[in-house]
Amino acid sequence: MKKLTKTTFSWRRITESRLLFPIVALSLILLFDFVFIPGFFNIEVRNGNLHGSLVDILRNGSTVMILAIGMTLVIATGGVDLSVGATMAIAASVAGILMNPSALKNEVFFVTDPTYTFQPLWVVISVALLVSVLCGFWNGVLVSYMRIQPMVATLILMISGRGIAQLITNGLRVQITYKPYAYIGQGWIILPFSLYIVAFVFALTWLITRKTAIGMFIESVGINFRSSFFSGINEQKLKLMVYTFCGFCAGIAGLVASSNIRTSDANNIGLMTELDAILAVVIGGTSMSGGRFSLLASMIGALVMQAITQSMYAFGVPAFALQAIKAIVVILVILLYSEQVRGWVRGIGAPQKEVKS
Amino acid sequence: MKRWLGNFFAKNRKFIPMFSTALLALIAYGVGAYFFAGMRNPQVFFNLFRNSAHMLISGVGMTLVILTGGIDLSVSGVVALTTVASAVLLREGVSPGLVILLMLAMGTALGAVMGAFIVKLKVQPFIATLAGMWFARGMCFFISDDAVTINDRVFQIIGKTKILIPGLKELAEAQGTAAPHISIPVVVAFLLLGVAIFIAQYTRFGRTVYAIGGNEGRNEQSARLMGLPVDQTKLLVYTFNGFCSALAGLAFSVFVFSGHGLYAPGFELDVIASVVMGGTMLTGGSGYVFGTLFGVLVLAVTQALIQFIGSLSSWWTKIVIGVLTLVFIGVQTVLSNRKGRRETTQKAKGWQAMPMWQRLALGFSALAVLILAVVSITNQLRPADTTVTPEIAACEMPAFREEEASALIQDGAIIAYHRAGGPDCVDELYAIYPDGRVTGAAGTNTVESQYEAASINQMLATISDENGWFTDEIYSTYHTPCRQCYIHYITISHNGQEKAATAVDGGTDMPPGYSLTLAAIRPFLPAVSPGQ
Repeated sequence: MKKLTKTTFSWRRITESRLLFPIVALSLILLFDFVFIPGFFNIEVRNGNLHGSLVDILRNGSTVMILAIGMTLVIATGGVDLSVGATMAIAASVAGILMNPSALKNEVFFVTDPTYTFQPLWVVISVALLVSVLCGFWNGVLVSYMRIQPMVATLILMISGRGIAQLITNGLRVQITYKPYAYIGQGWIILPFSLYIVAFVFALTWLITRKTAIGMFIESVGINFRSSFFSGINEQKLKLMVYTFCGFCAGIAGLVASSNIRTSDANNIGLMTELDAILAVVIGGTSMSGGRFSLLASMIGALVMQAITQSMYAFGVPAFALQAIKAIVVILVILLYSEQVRGWVRGIGAPQKEVKS
Repeated sequence: MKRWLGNFFAKNRKFIPMFSTALLALIAYGVGAYFFAGMRNPQVFFNLFRNSAHMLISGVGMTLVILTGGIDLSVSGVVALTTVASAVLLREGVSPGLVILLMLAMGTALGAVMGAFIVKLKVQPFIATLAGMWFARGMCFFISDDAVTINDRVFQIIGKTKILIPGLKELAEAQGTAAPHISIPVVVAFLLLGVAIFIAQYTRFGRTVYAIGGNEGRNEQSARLMGLPVDQTKLLVYTFNGFCSALAGLAFSVFVFSGHGLYAPGFELDVIASVVMGGTMLTGGSGYVFGTLFGVLVLAVTQALIQFIGSLSSWWTKIVIGVLTLVFIGVQTVLSNRKGRRETTQKAKGWQAMPMWQRLALGFSALAVLILAVVSITNQLRPADTTVTPEIAACEMPAFREEEASALIQDGAIIAYHRAGGPDCVDELYAIYPDGRVTGAAGTNTVESQYEAASINQMLATISDENGWFTDEIYSTYHTPCRQCYIHYITISHNGQEKAATAVDGGTDMPPGYSLTLAAIRPFLPAVSPGQ
């Protein structure tokens, strides 16, 4: 949010900031960890790289962070994209098949040479991203030109996308043994390499949305679509762009996820991650009916989700209970976000003399 | 004639989505009956309802929720929770009638809580019901980890009772086939459907529901200003949906006679899809509860078609369902003449410029062509897929032929390689000798080939020096192999050292040097046809 006046420190600026609630939520969780889980904040240095629970949160949450960046723009236009998980699976399958197409024939089943790849790495990555961009483009065409509701339009790709991913690999799980590709998800340069990818995507998106007018157009379309039309904004092209970009982000996330587990598993990659991404965006404060958005807040929201999961694992909670605990935490977060609490917090910082509208 | 048809549809415009779905379901069923003789049995038609009774029950409640412009993602969680809770309660000996009442009360309470969140705390319905779904599914696993069977007599009676269709019984007896029947949950579903239609069309509550969602969800404020009890209605709608979800869970549990937290995955999306296909707009305010019946029918016909097509690989099933959903929704969009959009697009382009009857004709003919194409393509695909079907019997993995391997090594071989498994379920034993001779044996087939001794030595040097076979970097690993994976047992003797190691494809535990060794050995292996 740009301010025309000189930025001064005041409670008002803090409580009205979009980042307040996600940061508060994250701090609460980290505080809980600090008190109840010994050694959670330990960071050790191994081979010049940082390791530790905090770093694990950042690393494991990088997939959802990338998804959340794309999802924020989609939700800001008033839509939603349920197909990101399936797009991740499709991108991973394409990458796997390009590196090891002999997996389709049954003679040489697994190429086990870590320096072997059928296509060079740049071809693999660009084709996988191209395919995921196509998926996003398909979603965009359905939503903006065929006027199908976003939830239903992306539901179609969500259902059939996993089938398409399995079709590409003929139902097999393609083993990925190519070392440089595995570096995407598992490399470390002080911090995990996937974090640099997240930073790059975030920087790119921030530049595009905040340093050009596109961000304002997106917000305008989400808030009031009719007056945007009368202002001359081409809402169809904008929505198409936004869904395409979300597909692009999903493709990157799919590459990161598949290099993490070194397989292209069409069934399990990205399962349920669309819901995590949507929740991350909501925790970040973007309303689901569209409007103003904040990329940084969405990323913090993704970190909140991951911190919950990580602390629950560190606490020894069994996997099935994790869902219930996540639900309770989400409910608490929702309570934090409700109008009553927000109004109360805003009342702390508001100057007393002004007439509030 | 075409003018009459055009006029008829123009006057009844609001029924078009529902009619189109009904017609499509009919066409799909007709195409299926044409291609597959089995589908002409009337029991198949009634089975459509029997198998999707729970979806219809849940769809009825979901329609009302969507009509207000909201959404309820928690239905699958509540259904699973109902199945698990009722199974466990019945196992503990609680009377079945009490169990049914408790489950309905639980569902209603859950719905009311979520409705309170949505109405009082102004949480987005998507988020609140998502949290509800996770919470319900999590609670399932607190109750029971594994599936629990329902052995209670009353539930068994409810599930297995066959209600014969009057009139068709005599016909079937004349033909000698079993009399067509439906089950009790189907009757319950239709009763609920009738009640919901009455509520929606003939009560003030129903009018309020339509008013809240009206004008594509933008009407809520106007409804409030009109003095309608908006908050109360929304709360009641979510409560009613909770009740319907619990009832659907009960219908499901008498269908499968067990309860587990993993049941009904993705159920909420199926229900939403069937409601949307039934003509209800997701933004709310327009649609008919009766249409949901046709939406459920469409999904059921799709499932039946896929079952009859037979060995359709599971991924084609998903693609077909996605394509069919797209086709139905596309047709709905083409046929429903939504005036609101005209204001915002610059001019009527493309298909919006065509008169109504042309659009209808085009829409339906394109649809018929598409369905025929899909079914015939899937018919073609059947033989092609049999090579990679998962029907391959699980391979009996033979034990490591240790004595044979060491015998070969004693004989002078430097490498004894036993490979088993793989997609063709082979069991091959190779031996590589220092003079360049390579033998391979599979079953009773043996084959022999000759290579340059120098290349063998070079390969051996690669294995022992570069890959470090005789160092600690190579060790044995094993895990249960996947159906198409190979198991490798390699014994190498070189410079007085002898070392054997096993590994299995398809996992991440194989040491990298091992896979490099495999790659080095592979060019020297002759092809052995698997003997019996």
